[in-house]
Amino acid sequence: MGLFIAKRLLRLVATVFAVTLLTFLMTSLLPGDPAVAVLGAEGVQNEELLLQVREDLGLDEPLPVRYVSWLGDALTGDLGESYINSGQSVSDTIGDRFPVTAQLAIMAILIAIVLALPLGVLGAYHQSKWPDTASSAVVQVALSVPNFITGIFLIWLFAVQLEWLPASNWNRMSNGLGANLKTAILPATALATTQMAIFSRLVRSDMIATLQENFILAAKAKGLSNKFVLLRHALRPSSLSLMTIVGINFGALLGGTVVIETLFAIPGLGFRLINAISQRDIMVIQGITVFVAVVYVLINTLVDLFYVAIDPRIRRS
Amino acid sequence: MKDKRLYRLLAMLFAFALVAAACGGDSADDSGDAAGDDDQAVDADTEDEVVSAGDEAEGDVDTEVEESSDVAVAGGELIVGLEAEIVGMRPWEDTCGSPCYNVFVTVYDKLMESTEDGSYEGWLFESIAPNEDFTSWVGVLRQGVTFHNGKDLTAQSIADMFPIQQAGSQSQSQIAASNLANVEATGDYEVTYTLSQSNAAFPAYLSRAQLGMVWDAEAAADPDAFNEAPVGTGPFAFESRDLDNETILVRNPDYWMTDENGVQLPYLDKISFRPIPDEGTRLDATLSGTTNVAHTLRQNTIRDGRSARDDDGAEITMYEFQGNNTGGGMFNVLVPPFDDLRVRQGMVKLNSQEQVIEALGGTGISLPATQWFSPDSPWYSEKVAAAYPSFDFEGGKALLEEYVNDPERSDGKAVGEKLEAELSCPPDPTLIAAMQVLQQTLEQTELIELNMTNYDQQTHINYALGADNGFVGSHGAHCWRFSDDNDPSTTINPAVAPPTAEIAEAAGLPGVVSPLNFANYFDGDVFGAAIGAISTDDFDERYALYESIMLKIAEENPIWYSGHTATALITDDNVMGVTSWKLPSGSLGAGMPNAEGRWQQVWLAP
Repeated sequence: MGLFIAKRLLRLVATVFAVTLLTFLMTSLLPGDPAVAVLGAEGVQNEELLLQVREDLGLDEPLPVRYVSWLGDALTGDLGESYINSGQSVSDTIGDRFPVTAQLAIMAILIAIVLALPLGVLGAYHQSKWPDTASSAVVQVALSVPNFITGIFLIWLFAVQLEWLPASNWNRMSNGLGANLKTAILPATALATTQMAIFSRLVRSDMIATLQENFILAAKAKGLSNKFVLLRHALRPSSLSLMTIVGINFGALLGGTVVIETLFAIPGLGFRLINAISQRDIMVIQGITVFVAVVYVLINTLVDLFYVAIDPRIRRS
Repeated sequence: MKDKRLYRLLAMLFAFALVAAACGGDSADDSGDAAGDDDQAVDADTEDEVVSAGDEAEGDVDTEVEESSDVAVAGGELIVGLEAEIVGMRPWEDTCGSPCYNVFVTVYDKLMESTEDGSYEGWLFESIAPNEDFTSWVGVLRQGVTFHNGKDLTAQSIADMFPIQQAGSQSQSQIAASNLANVEATGDYEVTYTLSQSNAAFPAYLSRAQLGMVWDAEAAADPDAFNEAPVGTGPFAFESRDLDNETILVRNPDYWMTDENGVQLPYLDKISFRPIPDEGTRLDATLSGTTNVAHTLRQNTIRDGRSARDDDGAEITMYEFQGNNTGGGMFNVLVPPFDDLRVRQGMVKLNSQEQVIEALGGTGISLPATQWFSPDSPWYSEKVAAAYPSFDFEGGKALLEEYVNDPERSDGKAVGEKLEAELSCPPDPTLIAAMQVLQQTLEQTELIELNMTNYDQQTHINYALGADNGFVGSHGAHCWRFSDDNDPSTTINPAVAPPTAEIAEAAGLPGVVSPLNFANYFDGDVFGAAIGAISTDDFDERYALYESIMLKIAEENPIWYSGHTATALITDDNVMGVTSWKLPSGSLGAGMPNAEGRWQQVWLAP
């Protein structure tokens, strides 16, 4: 077990290192000069100033030197400063934005689970009958409609037509939980629809398999109610792979909220990343990309370790 | 099995309905209309709305700037949805486009302001006057103005800004462009500007952020701290900024200005700016009451706003502005085949403005352009409009044919071989649609192979700028925008100055290099006219000089035009005073050029 964990951690370090290297190289390969982005087309008229800005940003150093210097700082938690919003530390930016994105991702996962479980159970219990077909149809729709289209639809319905919820922007928790949830519910729901479809399919197929097991037949033979059998005996063993995919998808959602955050103008990591890309704010691009990648890899590792902990067959192999 | 198919079909229909509801316009009235009827209605509307170059813009695509007899009501909070987050709060350092300008004018007052007729009058300056040759300007500040931190505004405050402006990346270029050499306090409230060369249009520079906005130089000594807590003399004081979410400003209780009834400005208690990059969401935010104002520089949003108002009965007001800003593109005249006049002229003749505007979603919204001035600008010239090449497929094809069959053709290809060209635009879906229109027409000639490329905005600019190759750039045919509503000298003069050191040297103008001449087109007479136009303040003389420049551009075609840029502020019906604000002198202001509001005189009707 110890060896397994050590191996996984070693792999994690190697992956994170590769991610930092690739991110650094790719952002450095982006066409254009960050110094020009800082100065603007008009500011660049002064060549002396252009050279000064390049020097200030360390762009006059060779790429390997810049990478080693950046990596050294990053290991101490210093991801540098924004080129564009001068004086703003990238670590602080991530610290401000991560809670917003994490809240969206958590809410999306919760909404998805709450909707997916009944749909999946219903489909499995009434396999090949009309409730199964109906729930499959809902899942099909949720899978085939991109979440930004769902987002646009939700804005149109709940903000423009019904005027129940705001169309955009974000109320921080400090403004009150109610106000916060009012701004979070639509984007979280938009993110949740695809997740819900994936989870529901998983629950349905796992539960169909579970319902064939002998212990289910035994429970039914004892005269237990269908509801009891489904919820107490079948649901738990059918949820293991759901828990795994929830973990993995949570990590993916952290990096996948870019479109929804931009659509709803939510100040999370994704929105900042998009702005940084359009402004050639390379330090911010690198910092956010690496952070999201590290979190994703960490979550995957934790899921692996969780698997090992609960499944002795993996431990033995 | 049949049941399954039926349910699948129903599911697909539901999915389609969901997508259609989300993607489609809000305007369609589906009740009983056959699809064919709908199509006809759309076509008919399109035909009705085509506006020709030179048409009177007022009433069609512009909201008139006019006095209001309504009595303003004080109080209330306004929330404005902006196209983008602003870079920073430092006018001398941070790049500032239309969204930023909306925020800046609340915190900072300007020394000068533009009026409805395009002239400039004092705002913080009570008066300003030049010497005989326009190399010195003396401005007198109004008294009783204080910064948000309680300090008095004096001439020394303006002089103290100058060293910071000289080092600021944004102000520095404006100092060079305006020929400003020194700023001095020559009295308690008297400021003297000394220029290195004549500039009759200097007051125009004092009406923009980089040199015109006033801030506390002492507070600006720590630029990062200033960015977090900017100090100006403006109608609103900075309260907080949550980057990418909201910037909040509150009423400045000590603001110096009153309206004509003696009511102290600003009327509003609070104003918030929220960046909402998605055009649809920004409009929806106003339609749903999440915000009171939607700022837009996009024709599609104007079209959707009109549709929400006219077809759905949304209670909004569209403050539309058809400015001098002109969309189109430029040729890099230093690289083949665009160094040959026949290629440029041919391609311009093959550019169907109406089709391009339609592809951009601007039919009935944007006017086709023939010059850097819109038809209601005092600088607009009928002569230029007549001289600019109109769409002529055969004429354009003949010019390209002549080039292709020329043994001396500049691109070095064999006689008869198709010419190759790159057309590049930022990756905006509407721009790509417009590019495809041009590509289709050009390739119909069977004389040209057009490679279309799309790079993000920053890369697009960098390629045209060419900071690494002596400002030649690495572009071919490049989508671009020209002009604004400031004095023509501020945009035209740098665009016709020598683009590279070699050209400047050859023209006997060593050191006079303008990286902002992106097309790299240089003509000694044109540059001479541009210099002449800032050596006199006689409007007729200046008009004639700028007309001569526009005529030369229409003849030599270093650039091509599609349409004028339509911009708008889309507001709730109860947002008043957007177009009727006045200067301290009582003159009517410029309205909302480029969707830049002046919020100190905006109020909310009960």
